[in-house]
Parts: sequence; C-alpha cells; structure tokens
Amino acid sequence: MNKKAIRSLYDELPGLVARGILTPDAAERLRAHYGPVEPARPVKLAVIIFGVLGSLLIGAGIILILAHNWEDLSRPARAILSFLPLLLAQGLAVWTLLKMRDSIAWREGASTLVFLMIGASISLVAQTYNISGDLPGFILTWSLLGLPLVYIFNAVVPALLYLWGITEWACHLRYEDSFNAGYWLLAALLLPQLALWMKAGRYRTRPTLLLWAICVSTTVAAGVTIERVLPGLWIILYSALFALMFLAGEFWFSESGGFWPRPLRHFGAGGVLVLSFLLTFEWPWHSIGWRHWQWERLHDTAWRAIPDAALGALIPLAAIILLVTTVRRKAPLGLLFGLAPIIATVGYCLSSLSESYAPAAGLFDLYLLVIGLWLIVAGIRVNKQGQMNVGLLAVMALIIARFFDNDLSFLLRGLIFIALGIALLMANIFMLRRKRGEP
Amino acid sequence: MSNRNLMLIVFSVAVAAQLAVPAWMIAGRERTMREGKTFKFRTRPVDPVDAFRGRYVWLSLEPGSVKVQDADKWMANQKAYAVLGTDSNGFAVVNRLDRAMPAGEPAVKVRVRWPNIQQKEVRVDWPGLDRYYMTEKKAPAAERAYWQHNVRTNRTCHVTVRVSGNDAVIENLFIEEKPVSDWLKENAAR
Repeated sequence: MNKKAIRSLYDELPGLVARGILTPDAAERLRAHYGPVEPARPVKLAVIIFGVLGSLLIGAGIILILAHNWEDLSRPARAILSFLPLLLAQGLAVWTLLKMRDSIAWREGASTLVFLMIGASISLVAQTYNISGDLPGFILTWSLLGLPLVYIFNAVVPALLYLWGITEWACHLRYEDSFNAGYWLLAALLLPQLALWMKAGRYRTRPTLLLWAICVSTTVAAGVTIERVLPGLWIILYSALFALMFLAGEFWFSESGGFWPRPLRHFGAGGVLVLSFLLTFEWPWHSIGWRHWQWERLHDTAWRAIPDAALGALIPLAAIILLVTTVRRKAPLGLLFGLAPIIATVGYCLSSLSESYAPAAGLFDLYLLVIGLWLIVAGIRVNKQGQMNVGLLAVMALIIARFFDNDLSFLLRGLIFIALGIALLMANIFMLRRKRGEP
Repeated sequence: MSNRNLMLIVFSVAVAAQLAVPAWMIAGRERTMREGKTFKFRTRPVDPVDAFRGRYVWLSLEPGSVKVQDADKWMANQKAYAVLGTDSNGFAVVNRLDRAMPAGEPAVKVRVRWPNIQQKEVRVDWPGLDRYYMTEKKAPAAERAYWQHNVRTNRTCHVTVRVSGNDAVIENLFIEEKPVSDWLKENAAR
C-alpha cells in the first residue's frame, strides 16, 4: 500500500472508532501493522516553478541589456562584460549556499541560472570574436561545466538541462557522421545523484522527473548512437530497451500506484506497444539482417562498430535477466512485455533468413493482440479502467491498421469505426457501473 | 569540515572552471589579434536568400577551391590546414593544403567539401570564419549591403582575418574599402 493511501486510512481511523465500526484495539493494530508515515509535507511546487522562471527571466533580461548598445563598446569592454551574467549568477548561487541551503526553490533557481549563464557567457565571447563552427563542442563544454551544479545544489533542473545538452550533442554528431557513443558514459555521470535521490524516496519529485527525462533521452540516444553497420539492429535494441524499462519499473517501483510516479513502467509499456504496432507493418523488416551488412561503413572505422555490439548485447541481456526474475515472481504482465526483445529477435531471424516479411509482421500482429486482450481482461478483473482502455486501444489500432491494409469500401470502414467506438464506450460504462457497485 | 564548507569549496572549483573557459577563449583570440598577421580575404558571391541569418552576416570566403596533385586521396568532410600566402593584389591565397598542422607557417583549418579529381582540385569551406556578428538592427542592412556588393559584376567586399599559427580571428568586414559599420552610417544618410 502506498504512503498516500496509508495516510488517508490513518485519517479515517478515529472516525471509524467513534462510530463503533472498529475497536480502538483494532485501530492500534492497524497502525502497528502499517507503521508510521511521515506527515504530508506539501512541497511548494508553485514557489519552485516561479523561482526557476524568475531566474530565467532575470538571465534573459541581463543578456538583452547587454545586447543594447553592444556595438558601441570596445572589444575588450565587450569581452569583460561577457562575464557579467555568469558572475552575477555565481554570486547568487554562493549566497544560496550560505543562507538558503534548505530552500529547494532557491537551490533549483540559482543553479538553473548559473547553468544558463555559462552558455550565455560563452556565446557572448563567441559573438565578440566572430567565432562560429563547432556547435556540438560548445554544447558539450557547456553541459560538462554545468554538471557539478547537480551535485553541489542537489537540484534536478540542472540535471535535466545536462541531459538535454548531451542528447543534443549526440544528435549533432550523428548529423555530422561523427562518433558519439560517449553519450552513454556522459549520461552515466548522473547515476550517482539519481541513486541518492532514489534512496531518499524513489517516488519523490526529483527522481521521478529525472527518470522521465532519462527515458526520453535514452530512447533518442539509442537511435542516434548506433552506427547502422548491421541494418535493422534498432528493432532488437529498441524492443530490449523498452522491455528493460518496463521490467525495471515493475521490479523497483511496484509499491506505488498512479501514472507519473512510475516513469520506467509506463514509458516502457508505451514504447513496447508503439514499437510492436510499427512492427506489425512489413516495411521495418525490409532489407535487414546479416545479408545486408554494410561493409563500407566498417571499412575505415571498424572500431566504431564496438558500441553497436555492446549496446546490442548488453541491453537485451539485462532485459532477459530481469525477465527471468519476473517469471520466477510469476508476474504475467512483466512476462508479456518482457517477451518483446525475444519476439523481435525471432522476427529478425525469420526476415533475415527467408527474405520474406509477412511472418515477422504476423508474429507482431499476434503479440500485440495477446497483449491487448490480456490488458483488457486483466484490467476488467482488477478494476483498472486505464489498463483496460490501453488494451482496447492496442486491439483497435491493430484492427484498423489491418483493415486499412486491405482495400475495403468506405461503408465497411465506417461501420468498423462505429463498432469499435461502441465497444469502447460500452466497456467504459460497464467498468464505471461496476466501480459504483451497480448491477 | 562541515558539509556546507565542503560544498563551497567544490563550488569554487566549478566556478573557476566556468570562468576559465570564456577567459581562455578571450585570451587566445586577443593574442591572435595582437600578434597575428593580417590577411585580406575576397568573399564569394552568395545566394541572397541564404545569407539572411538575423544576427550575423553569413560570409563565404575565397578561395573556395584549392589545386592539389592528389585529389583522389581527399575525402568529403575531412579536416585540413590551408597554408596561406598573398597574391600581387594583396589578397589571401592558399599555397597548399596540408593534412597535419604545418609548423612556422600561417595556416587556417578548413573542411573538405568534396574532391574534384578531373580538375585536380579540392573544394573547401572555411568553417571557423563564416560569421560576422552585428546587432539585430544592423545585421539585415549589413546583409543586404554584403550581397549587393558581392554579385558577380560588383565585387567590392572583403574580410580581414588575423592569423597566428593556426588560430584565425575575423577582424572586420569591408564594403567599398570601408569597415561595414562606417559604410552603413554613410549610406543610411543617402
């Protein structure tokens, strides 16, 4: 039971005892069973948001004032003024460390301001001297200079900015066709802080925000850091990545309910569903596998394929290890979503060996149908409307996609849409009634 | 030592690094400005639509290609050093293209766009020298002036660049032999 539920149960207890539903003794036993919960401490989210927004506005204002009359200043004067925004932000940060260390709003705001002003100072210098060119180098320098702020200020916004920076860097290098697998090491630099936050409470705001960002960032990075030496590797890599997220979410974040506090579980599940849907089409399975190995990409830079091999082996391996423990714990949902990389690998081998695409796509038709039906049935059984609706959407997407593959008349398509819509409405009405206890 | 003092020490190290990066950039450029040799670069005609970038004038320096003996040995996107010389009119020319940084000669980093094996030449970009920053008000006017004076029939633009070793810094953009800011002042009155 999560802490929120326990807290509301404790709030109810005195009333229940007063009305004679529970004996005082039973109420005490309940308290002893669930243990103490810390009183709800409303984190002043608004204060934090306005603190961060305020520092953003101040930073932008300083830059605008500097830009005004910028050209009338001499070059050395401009160079020295370029430090001003950064120095002001650093001064504010020192004051925060000395006087306002206990205020989350000040820590987040001041560290965010320093992070942004690092970039502003470097760009002002670059403009003064007409320096252009190395955009990825600039972003990486900026991000690395800002990384210590995460640890010093125990702040999440600089961590999000850092993650954005290194993701952007990896994307730019991909565009230039340069080596960018260093992203994974750079991202790992955030893990100690994430571990500390999770130790203090894994469903709190900071680890939750960072985990959502990590899900998005690694999803982008998985696509841009592989070298594409082996065509179609992305199918195995992504199915394993999403399954790994889901299983890790099931494994380490199972005590809480709700959507937002469990980023790994829900991002992973969404990833598996969307990817499976894409893989029910035939186009992803065209020209993949070892017969289409791109030797010319290996020719000059064979070592650049090493991260491909490492990612393509480690992520599926981690997913399978978690899958085995999930099977031992007899968690059917984990088993279903965790199977994605295995099914993807089977599909991959089928397409590579036979050069026909229908079997692999058909395999995923079946997989998505099973997941969808399971989500519907299990959702109804345990009264989880959200889960049931996700299952319904999966099945409907599948039906619509397959019907559109064939040339059906508009009338028939229209009727199918109406039928699916009615099914969705009926299921939800049924669910609502059951929740209210009506027949 | 208290946790607060430890954090202050760590933060001061971070602050030093944050200030060192722009300081290092300034020191290097100022040294090049002081000690570097001045080269005058002709500018290439640009596509007027493409030149508008808002806060800066997009420059395209000449020469855009370099004669080489081994054009087939160069690859697109390869980095190279253009060893600079001066022609009889005082404009910069590329004496040769080196793969490694040449010692004791002024040279600028360039990027190979593509080799032309038949013509025995390599097309190059000047990636570090393609922007001249101005304020938002002036940049569009400067852009217009730049491309009006940069069409094939009327080529009166040039850029001065200071080069020391392989560090290069743009000093000024000239239109009709006048620095662009002076030229804009005079021509605004007309």
